[in-house]
Amino acid sequence: MQFDLSEDQSAILSGLEQLIGSLNIEAPKDPVVSAYSQPLDDELTAGGFFEITQQEGFGLLDGALIVEALAKLPVSVEAAATILVAPAFLEDAGRRPVALVSGSAAVPARFLPMAKTLLVDKGDDVLRIDIPEGAVEEVETLFAYPYGRLKNPEALPAVSLGASRVAELRRRWRVAIAVEAAGLMQSALDTVLEHVKTRQQFGRPIGSFQAIQHRLVMAAEQGQATRWLALRAAWSDSDADAAIAATYAQDATPKFANDLHQFCGAMGLTLEFPLHHWTYRLRALLGELGGSSGSALAAADAVWVKAS
Amino acid sequence: MEFGWTPEQEEHRERVKTLLAKELPENWDEIAVHGPGSDAQTAFSKIFCKRLAEEGLLISHWPREYGGNDMSVWDQFIMGEELWAAGEPRGPQYMNVNWIGPVLMRYANDAQKAKYFPSIAEGSVIWCQGFSEPSAGSDLASLRTKAEKVEGGYLVNGAKVWTSYAGLATHCFLLARTASAGKGAIVILLVDMSSPGVQVKQIPALIGEGDIHEVFFTDVFVPAENLLGEEGQAWEIITFALQNERIGIPRYAFSRRMLDRAAAKLQAEGRFGDPIVRDRAGRALAMCEAARLMVYRVVHQRATQAPQDAYGNLARWAIVQADHAVNDFMTEFMPEGLLGADQMQIAHHQRAIAAGIASGAAEIQLNLAARRYLDLPGEPRRAV
Repeated sequence: MQFDLSEDQSAILSGLEQLIGSLNIEAPKDPVVSAYSQPLDDELTAGGFFEITQQEGFGLLDGALIVEALAKLPVSVEAAATILVAPAFLEDAGRRPVALVSGSAAVPARFLPMAKTLLVDKGDDVLRIDIPEGAVEEVETLFAYPYGRLKNPEALPAVSLGASRVAELRRRWRVAIAVEAAGLMQSALDTVLEHVKTRQQFGRPIGSFQAIQHRLVMAAEQGQATRWLALRAAWSDSDADAAIAATYAQDATPKFANDLHQFCGAMGLTLEFPLHHWTYRLRALLGELGGSSGSALAAADAVWVKAS
Repeated sequence: MEFGWTPEQEEHRERVKTLLAKELPENWDEIAVHGPGSDAQTAFSKIFCKRLAEEGLLISHWPREYGGNDMSVWDQFIMGEELWAAGEPRGPQYMNVNWIGPVLMRYANDAQKAKYFPSIAEGSVIWCQGFSEPSAGSDLASLRTKAEKVEGGYLVNGAKVWTSYAGLATHCFLLARTASAGKGAIVILLVDMSSPGVQVKQIPALIGEGDIHEVFFTDVFVPAENLLGEEGQAWEIITFALQNERIGIPRYAFSRRMLDRAAAKLQAEGRFGDPIVRDRAGRALAMCEAARLMVYRVVHQRATQAPQDAYGNLARWAIVQADHAVNDFMTEFMPEGLLGADQMQIAHHQRAIAAGIASGAAEIQLNLAARRYLDLPGEPRRAV
């Protein structure tokens, strides 16, 4: 049990920090609901960060640390599916960004506007669909990710990967949800902490009121618990740990996001204030793979039903 | 970073499990039902702790110079997890080895060490902590119990309340004050509970037999040699003691065991197919595992001798949530257990409803974390 980063992990994250620093990434100045950073995507590709789990001596946990760090940014980039899910499902690792959907290929998916591959959890099969240029229409959303929908999903050839791959897809997807949520929660909390320490009402910072302090600590606890559960799930790559981590993250999200916006008052409702870049990505993750109920059922099944 | 156990740690856990399987009697669940402070569990603790001592496990985390084995922080914690999951067969003596002993190591003089360590090390003594008072609960520094300096020692007058295990305790780790105000006037006295003037009254409560008491001190003479540390040093000692106490109980381990047990029972009764039941069980499971990892993070901090921060306060909140989640799940889906059908469920319920109150109110943990972990500004003092 070792909660500190290894030397290699520190080196990777330090390299990533330098890369991000060189791009001067800031929250978008213009009022936008979502911002995708193609320059960051390009630099991450050039730096080999998307292939971390295929490099000798590195694994899913190292990839998870990268995904978590990227989720902290006020812009999005498709990394979680590429790093944590795709290596097990793609013959050509370069066919990214990768989008994930469950149920039907026709439903809107995160990152589909720029995706080269779509993985579909059909319940009884996993489908891999190569996305040609012009096959996707953008979908407007508050969810702070670019969303898209296939214009004509039936027209695209789908490769069946088989029913045996469904559990693996869900396991990795749940790890990805939890890891990304951990990064999002941390930045959202940091943003609100800065606000409540400086915003004054009744002659004092609003962060000095106990009514706010207690709920912020609860949010901090949720963020930390999400982080450790997510990283453990990446380390163990087990169905149970992945479902437990996603359950916790998705279960915590509504109160976490509602509270953080509440503490920022009307400012928290504006596009000028960056909080939504993290909380609306969190809200998007809440609805994936059956949401908290889907993950909780998966956790119960993995721990008690399949074990019996 | 990694989240696994070493082969040695796995072996240690198995050793503790094997010992428990061998030493716990067939009617252990009946003994454990009434909680660590009950007559039955306290009596059993003297048998069990003696066996632990013979196996070299009772104080194995203590330094060798105090009779321990320098067991690692993680091994100590693994043992605590298994013992708490089993219903804590050390009874009230978990306090002795977890924090009273370590506090004495750090602050007691040689004569005090010689006097108190042998009985703790052989598992034959029960300590209680004389902290809370009718007017000093979370606000511990406002305690009023007086320790008047007299020739050869102190004359103690006052009352303590909510004192766990006092009914059968032989010693009390008592906080009292020598002057009317201020943390600096608090002293710590190691009181023999058989001293004339000590009266203990059990408080009937929702949380089990023998758990909480009132303790009255009427002209109780405490010899000067029973003062722990120096006058004026008490608050430092208390702070050190609470660091060891607050996170020392892996309560989530018992909750997780009860949740596993509940799932097995619901499956056997054909009720676990209901997705609503499994959904709620899965959420309670996530709370237990969240508490486990938050606590592991604190243990890691201790094991690596990193400076203490407020992470323990955060972890304590996670522990409370886990206890409540499991208790709420069983109360909603297995109400028959609380109607007399399951004594262990009743026992868990009694522990869970106290989770946010025992060992210091959870709101105090939130206050501390707000200040020390989130660096939020303090509330201005109100004008009186």
